[in-house]
Amino acid sequence: MKTPKKKLQIKDFGSDDTVLSPLEPGDLELLRDEKEPPKFKQIKPEILEKYDFSLDGFSALSLPIPKTKEEEEAIVNGFLSGLEKLFQKENNWGFLMPTTLSNEFCMQCNTCNEACPIYVESDRKDIYRPNFRPEVLRRIIKRYFSTSGKLLGKWVGADLDLNWRVVYHLAELVYRCTLCRRCASVCPIGVDNALISRELRKMFSMEMGIAPENVHKSGTVQHMKSGSSTGMTPPAFLDTIEFIEDLIEEKTGRRMKIPIDKQGADILLIHNAGEYMAWPENPAAFAIIFEAAGLNWTLSSAAMGYEGVNYGVWYDDVQFARIAMAQVQAAKDLGVKKIVVGECGHATKALITIADRMLVGDMAIPREPCLPLLEQIVTSGVIKFDRMKNNFPVTLHDPCNMVRLMGIIDPQRTILEHVVAPGQFREMPHAGTNNVCCGGGSGFAITNAHNFPDWRNNVASRTKAKQVLEAFKDVLDPSIPKYYCAPCSNCKGAARDALIEHFGFKEKYNIIYNGLVELIVNAMVDMPHPFITWEDEF
Amino acid sequence: MSSLGWFIGGPLVYFAVALFLIKTALLVKKYLDMPRHIRWDLYPLPHNGAEGSKYQKVDFGQSKPHSHVMHELWEMGQEILFIKKAYVNNPKIWFGSFPLHAGLYLGIIWLFLLVTGAVLELNQVFIGPNSQSLFSSLIYNATLFTGVGSFVSGLCGALVLLWQRLTDEGMIFMSDVISYLNLAVMIMLFGTGLAAWMTVDSTFAEMRHQMASLIAFRFVPVGETLVMLHVLALCSFLIYLPFSRMMHFVGKYFFYHNIMWDDEAMKKGSAMENDFASYLQYKTTWSAPHIRKGESWADQVGKGSPQEGGKK
Repeated sequence: MKTPKKKLQIKDFGSDDTVLSPLEPGDLELLRDEKEPPKFKQIKPEILEKYDFSLDGFSALSLPIPKTKEEEEAIVNGFLSGLEKLFQKENNWGFLMPTTLSNEFCMQCNTCNEACPIYVESDRKDIYRPNFRPEVLRRIIKRYFSTSGKLLGKWVGADLDLNWRVVYHLAELVYRCTLCRRCASVCPIGVDNALISRELRKMFSMEMGIAPENVHKSGTVQHMKSGSSTGMTPPAFLDTIEFIEDLIEEKTGRRMKIPIDKQGADILLIHNAGEYMAWPENPAAFAIIFEAAGLNWTLSSAAMGYEGVNYGVWYDDVQFARIAMAQVQAAKDLGVKKIVVGECGHATKALITIADRMLVGDMAIPREPCLPLLEQIVTSGVIKFDRMKNNFPVTLHDPCNMVRLMGIIDPQRTILEHVVAPGQFREMPHAGTNNVCCGGGSGFAITNAHNFPDWRNNVASRTKAKQVLEAFKDVLDPSIPKYYCAPCSNCKGAARDALIEHFGFKEKYNIIYNGLVELIVNAMVDMPHPFITWEDEF
Repeated sequence: MSSLGWFIGGPLVYFAVALFLIKTALLVKKYLDMPRHIRWDLYPLPHNGAEGSKYQKVDFGQSKPHSHVMHELWEMGQEILFIKKAYVNNPKIWFGSFPLHAGLYLGIIWLFLLVTGAVLELNQVFIGPNSQSLFSSLIYNATLFTGVGSFVSGLCGALVLLWQRLTDEGMIFMSDVISYLNLAVMIMLFGTGLAAWMTVDSTFAEMRHQMASLIAFRFVPVGETLVMLHVLALCSFLIYLPFSRMMHFVGKYFFYHNIMWDDEAMKKGSAMENDFASYLQYKTTWSAPHIRKGESWADQVGKGSPQEGGKK
């Protein structure tokens, strides 16, 4: 049963309600075959006493509830101080113009609302409207930083008084947006509400030290400390490569030496290191393809050189820049001609476009996504394929970072045309630049605080789950194996957690997920055994 | 009354126009003076044309990026003239927004035609229902058409938007006082224009006469009360506009051309590279433990991360 919608007003955003806008299982629109609403993890009273869950009943940030007036004031003051810096060129030169524009010109037409899968799947709760967070920010700025707001208050729209709850609610709320920028793509003016979420995340991190633990402490900090966000050190990486060589031998019957630290190679291939741990068949498939194509390529064993992720892109410009520079430095040290980023959406966007203008002088080493290179290999004829080896229904997920934010649409489709049996590929609804996020974007796939995975799987990934079922609607019979192709590590993480484990798609419909290179290798004529083995996936 | 009419018909108009132009120029300058920003493209980019994004090609950096000006102009035209994104993604709002904007565009043309007519009248060429030349007749009829079209279209659009903002729960939730004030300004602007035309200035002779006085720097009081109210509404609009978010037409240019559609890559030795190299010297004052307060961005990056919780 749906909970009656609570009448909320923006000026009440800092109210001391136990939960400002509770999300209940009954609010969710169930999938076909989802018999009853899901159950959310119950939070222990001692945890509820310690951490703030008062936005919607969930916590991504584990924000400690302040105990004293001084602590409350420190939160508010830190926030105001950070807000001021967000609009100073010395502190935010990189995004000053986009942030200022988006802050100043929203007309509140709500066009962005229906473009947001999170707002729609939450039974359209007001707090999840994409333009809600920026409007809260706008009213705070007007109230505390504008003369008209200070003098006229609510008569000029400056009707939101700041307290620690407003700050905490806003901090949690910016982690209810996957930064997919679908809202920005439909805005008639061009206002980018996702950017405002990102900029607020940045302000919280860079001024107040507030960020999800999985993204910051065991993310970027660990990345720079150990060489990888997974904690994999250079020696561990070399061990992993040996394991992957074993895997390749097992799959192909041939021993292959994966090139490591090859000076002057044409290509430095850099994967999301999560692939080595969770989906080793992915880097294995890349190695098989690159070797078969005769490329002059290498991996790097230098700390940061074997890890493509850059979580900084979601929440912190300084962390972002440090990681991007270190990754490029690894390539520079090897003297490679270019970097190719593997199947990871955010890593691709981070290194190729977002870092582009930071890489001045001799750091401007060419950087490219893997998909066009794979397309070139597949269509060149250098490798022989038998499309009938992939004779099962396949659908393709468009990772936001590669598609809407980089425009890479055709290469993956051309590849599928060449390696999937005729008639077996089907597009998902809203394919291409109008795609819908997997639900794991912007760090959600790795954010596992408290009950946040319940929110992520049930709200953020629900539209994607519906789309997958829609794409396979004529072949849902579990006797027909089906492949959900997601050429992105985060998207695969979301598929694993939401589609497979939470919604049970493997069990119910025999749907598996994995990347694009696995399909390519599976279709190679000279592969003695299937590379994709239905039972072993995930 | 006549001194009020004199003030509204003369000094106020000059002041409003000057303020509007200066404030608009300052707003544009504010954005032009901002540092170049980090890439934040949003695809598809119209200038990529049918080939699509450059990132779909191997070694894209070695080839000259394709630029299809006509594709971009076509996309811009649809967006500027028809507000395509609203039509596609929010038809409900488009039914208010489009007539409102059409009213504004027609209103701008109307003002230009009024100026043209006024200049002609100053040169003893009569503009009116019985104009003696084809050209003056054309100016008269075009002024009539654009003026009436502007008032009717703009008023209808503003009323539709007001109705939506008063009845749609989502709109009510998101609207602040300013949202209603903006529409009130629009309703006054178009409403007084329509009322004046319907009652006292059906040929726009009064407005044209007023315009001629302004052009000739001869301050004359506005003769008719409703026309005076319309001039007052127009002046109020020009004074209010540059301080409001209705300046989104300026913002929209930067949103589209400088952010969403800006895929210009960094090139070695370019002005862009020099600019970014200089930005890296800005000293940042962020306070979180992983940032060394007061150090430049280049040092923040070059020296790596301080130990968490350690000395900043």
